[in-house]
Order: sequence, then structure tokens, then C-alpha cells
Amino acid sequence: MMLTLSPSARKSANLIIHFAERESKARYKRSLLGWFWSFANSLTTVAVYSFVFGAVYNAQPPITDNGRAENFGLYLFTGLIAWTVFTGVVTGCMGWLQDVSDLRKKIYFPTETALLGGAACNAIQTALEAAVLLVIMALFTNISWTALFLVFALLLTMMFALGVGFIVAVLNARYRDIQYLTGVLIGVGFFLVPVVYPPSLLERDDVPEIGRQLVTWNPPAIFVEIARDGAYFLQTPDPLKVLVATAWAVGTFTVGWLYFRSRSMEISEEL
Amino acid sequence: MTTGEITISDVSKRFRLDRDRPSSLKEAVLRIGRTTDIDDFWVLRNVDLHIEPDSFFGLVGHNGSGKSTLLRLIANIHRPTTGEITTEGRMSALLELGSGFHPDLTGRENVFLNGTMLGLTRKHMAEVMDDIIGFSGIGDFIDEPVKIYSSGMYVRLGFAVAVNVNPEILLVDEVIAVGDEEFQRRCMDHMHRLRENGTTIVLVSHDAALMRSLCDRVGWLDHGRLVEVGDPDDVIDAYLKHASQDEGDTLTARD
Ligand SMILES: Nc1ncnc2c1ncn2[C@@H]1O[C@H](COP(=O)(O)OP(=O)(O)OP(=O)(O)O)[C@@H](O)[C@H]1O
Ligand SMILES: [Mg+2]
Repeated sequence: MMLTLSPSARKSANLIIHFAERESKARYKRSLLGWFWSFANSLTTVAVYSFVFGAVYNAQPPITDNGRAENFGLYLFTGLIAWTVFTGVVTGCMGWLQDVSDLRKKIYFPTETALLGGAACNAIQTALEAAVLLVIMALFTNISWTALFLVFALLLTMMFALGVGFIVAVLNARYRDIQYLTGVLIGVGFFLVPVVYPPSLLERDDVPEIGRQLVTWNPPAIFVEIARDGAYFLQTPDPLKVLVATAWAVGTFTVGWLYFRSRSMEISEEL
Repeated sequence: MTTGEITISDVSKRFRLDRDRPSSLKEAVLRIGRTTDIDDFWVLRNVDLHIEPDSFFGLVGHNGSGKSTLLRLIANIHRPTTGEITTEGRMSALLELGSGFHPDLTGRENVFLNGTMLGLTRKHMAEVMDDIIGFSGIGDFIDEPVKIYSSGMYVRLGFAVAVNVNPEILLVDEVIAVGDEEFQRRCMDHMHRLRENGTTIVLVSHDAALMRSLCDRVGWLDHGRLVEVGDPDDVIDAYLKHASQDEGDTLTARD
């Protein structure tokens, strides 16, 4: 199939490929095991959390539709994939922009291609992780067509994260401590998203109503919930949540994109 | 517009010289309510210039008069504060040391990256790779990261890329002066040939003799204003006469 693209769109596409390749090379070089390392990383996380929450705290994983108690590790991994896309892309965007800012001071190119390229690399890695998860589920537990909602949720997460990433990247080019602030917020945010604890925990009486609403309705939490509904509980997610999630993703991406485009020419003037 | 044409209409460029501009959010917050005196510095003022396709245009002016800034605006690196610049055709630029090279990539990878930025295919770049390596004369260093290059090697590779991508517009700042005698001569020859093949060239140089011999037209920038444009001999004579008048005062004071 031949895609017909305008020359400038083709140029941008090639640049995105270049930056994606560069990002994957950088990851590969950082360790001998390359891509494998990122798998090992997620698997270790899952193993550690399974042990801590399963064995030490004796937490029971939520029972799935077909009545079987499942593996807490898989439950975690499903949520963690979405959360990692969010944090990986948001933090990545600041680095990707910083990486090309010197270059951009000397030659013109559409700066957003660096961020889109980095995100593309992240997307490929995520796709591999999701594939591993689904294979494990198919072999040891169960999967259904609803796993498509995992893919859908990851796409929304990616869009949302890019929107946020565009904004923080521009701000970080101006105020260098934005990256630390973002790091702190992400650390706090992790506990506002039911990744390591089941949402049912919120039903306890000592959780204030505001906390309950926050954890139920913040965008990453909704993405995680949709992903988990589809891949882990094998059920179709709440349509209202799907709608809200889509609105968040499309809205944030659009705002971030427009903001980035309006400020990207100024990046070459930041000293 | 025809290919190779450059139109600069009423362009001004302002840089903000905010010496204690906060560089972190913390500083910015601590400084809320305090008035900062922001100096506006107009590097270029109301520049109107039309460069015909197929011509060799030279820019002269004292240090800090805004020549490099004007080239950067044409190259779309900065945006004019007011006014408009339109260019037609593929543009390659050699503006400063390491122009458009990413320090961590090897020379070869940078050549491909540059090609991509100019909208050329990998295939095309692979075809001209040997020419580029040959012209630059940097040999095996092509597969080393460019951050270990010497200034001369940077310029050699930069120039080799800039002229081997079939540019329709070529912008060259005075960087080629870093190259050795032999290399500079080859650059001049090459620019001459490009010019014959219909490339529009804009060159900044302090070498009056060189400008006289190469340029069709010369523009003289003084404190960001384009004070004269025309025949190379006339403009350069006027510029040199003016320069010798206030000798010792060649550096612009920021006003
Ligand atoms: N990013 C920037 N921020 C603030 N001021 C700048 C910036 N870039 C250039 N300037 C200022 O603009 C003025 C013109 O600079 P420019 O480099 O265009 O001069 P030039 O004519 O090329 O001088 P030279 O002959 O020394 O190369 C200088 O005073 C310089 O300090
Ligand atoms: Mg200069």
C-alpha cells in the first residue's frame, strides 16, 4: 500500500521514524539486554508486588467474572501497563525535547517530531508488553474479545500523556525544575490510581468522599479501569467511563498540541 | 514565487534581555510581585529585502549588526517579531560550528539526519554519501561521534552536506573561515559552481575582496538596519569608509 503524503508530512514522518529509532537505540545501549531489560523490569515489579501484597499482606485479588480467583501479579500488571505509558511518555517528552533543543537552535525542523518519535518508541515497547500479558493470560487463565479494551485504553492513555507531555516539555524548557516537580506529582499520583490496591478498598468508611471521587474519576484511573475491565475481568467497561476517558484523551491531546505548536518557535531562543 | 526566491518584508526582531529572568519555577514564584526590568533589544529593524532567484547575495556589517540573526530568520530557526519572510525551494544552511549536527551521533548518522530534515530520502543520502565523505576529507572519522571532531572537521562535514543536497537556496555564515586555506578555496569553487547551476546563495563574510569577487549584490547592515543594498563595489566601499571613520568603535553597544 502506498500512502500519499505531502512533502512536508513525509518529512515529518521520516523525522518521527528517526527519533523513534534513536530512542530505541538509546535504550538498547543503556543495557546489554536492551529491550529485554524493560520486560525484566515489569516482570520484577509484578513479582515484587505479588509477593508483598499477596504473601505479606495476604491481599485477595478481585474475583473475575468466571468466579476464579486470579493471580494478583496479572491484576497488577494490567494496571501497571497503562500507568507506565502515562509516566513514561510524560517524563519522556521533557527529555526528548531537551535532547533536541541544541540542535533546534541551529537548524529548523518541526520540534514536535522528536516527542512523537519518542512516544512511538514507547508505544512499540508497550505493545510488546501487552502482547506478553495477553499470551500469559491465554495460557494460564482466560482471555476474551474484551481484551481489545486494553488496546483502546492504552491508546487513550498515550494521547492523554502526549497532551500533558507537550505542555510540561515546553514549560520545562523555560523553567528547569518542572521536571522535578512532575516527578513528585507522578509519585503522588501513583497512589491516586488504583494500581497496587483494588478500587474496592475505597468502599471502606474511613475513606473521605472526596478521595473516593478523585480516585474514581481522575483520567489515568479511568484508563486503568478500562484496561483492567477488558483484559482482567473480561467484561465491557462502563460506557460512561469510556466516554469520559475518550473526552479527556482527545481534549488533552488537542490542548497540548495547540499549546506546543504556539510555543515551539520560541524554544530556539531559550538559552 | 519562483524557486530560489527570498522575500523579506518589513522584518524586525526583538530579543528579550532579561538578565535576571527566572530560570526555575522556584525563582519565578519567589519573585512574584517584584518588577523586573526587561530590556528589549531590537537586533533587526524594518528590514526589507528581495533576493532574486539564482543570485549571489552578500551581507556585510560590523560585529553584532545582526547578520547572523537575519540568516537564522531566513532559515526559519527564529521567527521574526514583526514582518514576514517567505522563501521558495529547498534550503540548506551552514550557520555556525556544528550547524545542525547532534553531538552524540556519528558523522554518518548526522548526514542522514540532515537529509531527513531537508526532506530527502535515505536512498538519496546514501548515494551522495561518498561525495560528502570525499569532499569533507574527514575519512574514517565519519563513523565517530561528531563531538570529538575538531572545528575544522565540523565545518568541512557541514559544508560538504550543505552543498551536496542540491540546495535551491544556500545560506553560509562566515564559519568557512575556520577551514584551512585549501579547504576555503574549494568552498569558493564549489559555491561558484552551485551558483552556475542556479542556486541562490546568501553569504556573510568580513572578507571584502572575497565579497567583491563573488557577489552580484551586497547588503550592508548597521545596528540592525539595512542601510544600503546594491552593487558590491559601491556598498563595500561605503561600508569600509564608514567603518574606518569610527574605528575602534566597531562593537555595538546595546542601547
Ligand atoms: N538569542 C539571542 N538572545 C539575545 N540576544 C541575541 C541573541 N542572538 C543574537 N543576539 C544579539 O543580537 C546581536 C546581533 O547578533 P548577530 O549574531 O546577528 O550579529 P552578527 O552581525 O552576525 O555579528 P558578527 O559579525 O560578530 O557575527 C548581538 O548583539 C547579539 O548579542
Ligand atoms: Mg555572525
